[in-house]
Amino acid sequence: MRLLLLPAVVVLAVFAAALGALFRWSVLEFIPGSLQTGGLTLANFRAVLAPQYLGAVRDTIVLSALTTVLTLVCAYPVAYALARTPSRWVRSLILVLTLAPFFTGAIVRTYAWVLVLGNTVVTWPVPMLFTERGVLVGLVHFSMPTMILILAAALSHIDPVYERAAASLGAPPWRVFRRVTLPLSMPGIVSGALIVFAWTLSAFPTPELLGGGKVKMIANVVKDLGLDSFNWPGAAAFAMLALALTLALLTVVGRVSTGRAT
Amino acid sequence: MRSRLVVTLLLALLTLPLVPPARAQNALVISVWGGNWKDTVDKVIGKAFTAKTGIPVEYEVGGTIDRLAKARVAKGNPLVDLNFTTTHVARLYISDGLYDKLDMAKLPNSKEIAKEAFRSDFHIGSWAYVYTVVYRPDQVKEDITKWSDLWKPSLKGKIAMPDFDPSHIITIAALMEGGNEVNWQKGEAKLKQLKESVAAFYSTDAQSQDLMKTGQGPVQVMLSVNAYHLQEQGIAVKVVQPTDYPGIVGIDTMGVMAGSKKADAAHQFINLALSKEIQAELVKTLRAGPVNLGATVPANLKGQPGIFSTTAEWKERGYIMNDEARAKNLPGWREWFTANIVKK
Repeated sequence: MRLLLLPAVVVLAVFAAALGALFRWSVLEFIPGSLQTGGLTLANFRAVLAPQYLGAVRDTIVLSALTTVLTLVCAYPVAYALARTPSRWVRSLILVLTLAPFFTGAIVRTYAWVLVLGNTVVTWPVPMLFTERGVLVGLVHFSMPTMILILAAALSHIDPVYERAAASLGAPPWRVFRRVTLPLSMPGIVSGALIVFAWTLSAFPTPELLGGGKVKMIANVVKDLGLDSFNWPGAAAFAMLALALTLALLTVVGRVSTGRAT
Repeated sequence: MRSRLVVTLLLALLTLPLVPPARAQNALVISVWGGNWKDTVDKVIGKAFTAKTGIPVEYEVGGTIDRLAKARVAKGNPLVDLNFTTTHVARLYISDGLYDKLDMAKLPNSKEIAKEAFRSDFHIGSWAYVYTVVYRPDQVKEDITKWSDLWKPSLKGKIAMPDFDPSHIITIAALMEGGNEVNWQKGEAKLKQLKESVAAFYSTDAQSQDLMKTGQGPVQVMLSVNAYHLQEQGIAVKVVQPTDYPGIVGIDTMGVMAGSKKADAAHQFINLALSKEIQAELVKTLRAGPVNLGATVPANLKGQPGIFSTTAEWKERGYIMNDEARAKNLPGWREWFTANIVKK
């Protein structure tokens, strides 16, 4: 029995070693123009608390929250249709359209948005490409398939009898949705929101390509520091800071939403 | 029994990335950027090298920093024998003891190369290019002939430039204000005036070319090699030979990895790469400037930005930054650039 735990221990040991290496780098002194590091220091943490880096953290949290809300709003009707349509043909069509983006890859999908959000296909009344608006559109599109599938699973577990009972007692459709369907689908909403929020916090290709360098999220800043400035200790410190913040945020969001769901 | 099998399989899977790829026993392994760079090195130098020496060549491809990170991890027992990288990044290899000193006695062709291509005792230039102004005349009404044209109000919202390495525009702004890359702060105010003109920042060559193709960044501070590549693809871009300040020269370099067991073969490769014939081929294929002053340059490329074929051209038509100052200042430049130019 203990032997069966070995794979988990090995995997966890690898993860812990990687985190340990990251932490070690974050407290080593950065020497510009060299890969050599100096002694132990907390200067990297002080440096990444500069307004420009904290601005990226703020932008990341705001974009992640907006992405979560918009994805939920856009995905819910699709998930509802997927779970409730009596037509197998319609269900298959929705499923194919939902899953298709999964198979195109993040880079291809984002490049397609570069063309759409630029003024080559559509002329937008306000600039979209290389703005936070454009990044938000890309992030919502990226998150939609996952949210749809999670919500559809939750909705399909709701027995339609409850909705029919409410309707037969005189509740109009909107009230049936608000008082019956929505509360019963709350576990799916919480799971979907948590997953979308968590992975948007670490989004990289969407802000990289649709932000045109002007919209920076946490992962982009880590890449900038590590790969462009050769500042590996700085990148490690920022990554540690972001990790701590992400865990704290997810704990808070998880507690709040679980409280609401129960 | 079954659990033992699962554990064995898991361990095998976990250790898989640690196993170096199988390589021919006597192959010379070269680290280089992927795509067109690797293809060109293989086609122009690699094939000729194997034909001449009988030594097969294999490649490790990747981005500049990925390869640096790998080299650092494999320090003392390198996975590659010879490395191509930009001249200022080579400084990082050198500072970390990743390169061996070049044995100039084994590089007789180096006697023919421009003195600017001797970057240090550890690395030597393979080809050159410039970062200059490139634009699409179909999207920009007036001619652009100099760096200072970038500050024209009519170009507001049309310019794209690299944010991964803003050293070119920082140096140009400093030169305009009587400074240089060492006292670059002189150009800070000038550079801030450019902020509103920038439509986008790019972080890869591919992004730069896409911005130009789609018209999202029709005026760019761009690598000359990429601009010529766009011209080959039928995109009408104009590569400016600025009349006020020269283009900022970039030199890609070669170095022999410390601890390589094929240092002799690596030197032979470098020597071949520096020969007139190979350099002439590189000019044609890559549209980069030769480092060998005796290399033949096709008439249509002669005098073009980034193609230097005489000592005078190297001196007058390109500005070469101090590698060490660039490598040391880059983190600070990026920080300042992000805070003052990139940030909304």
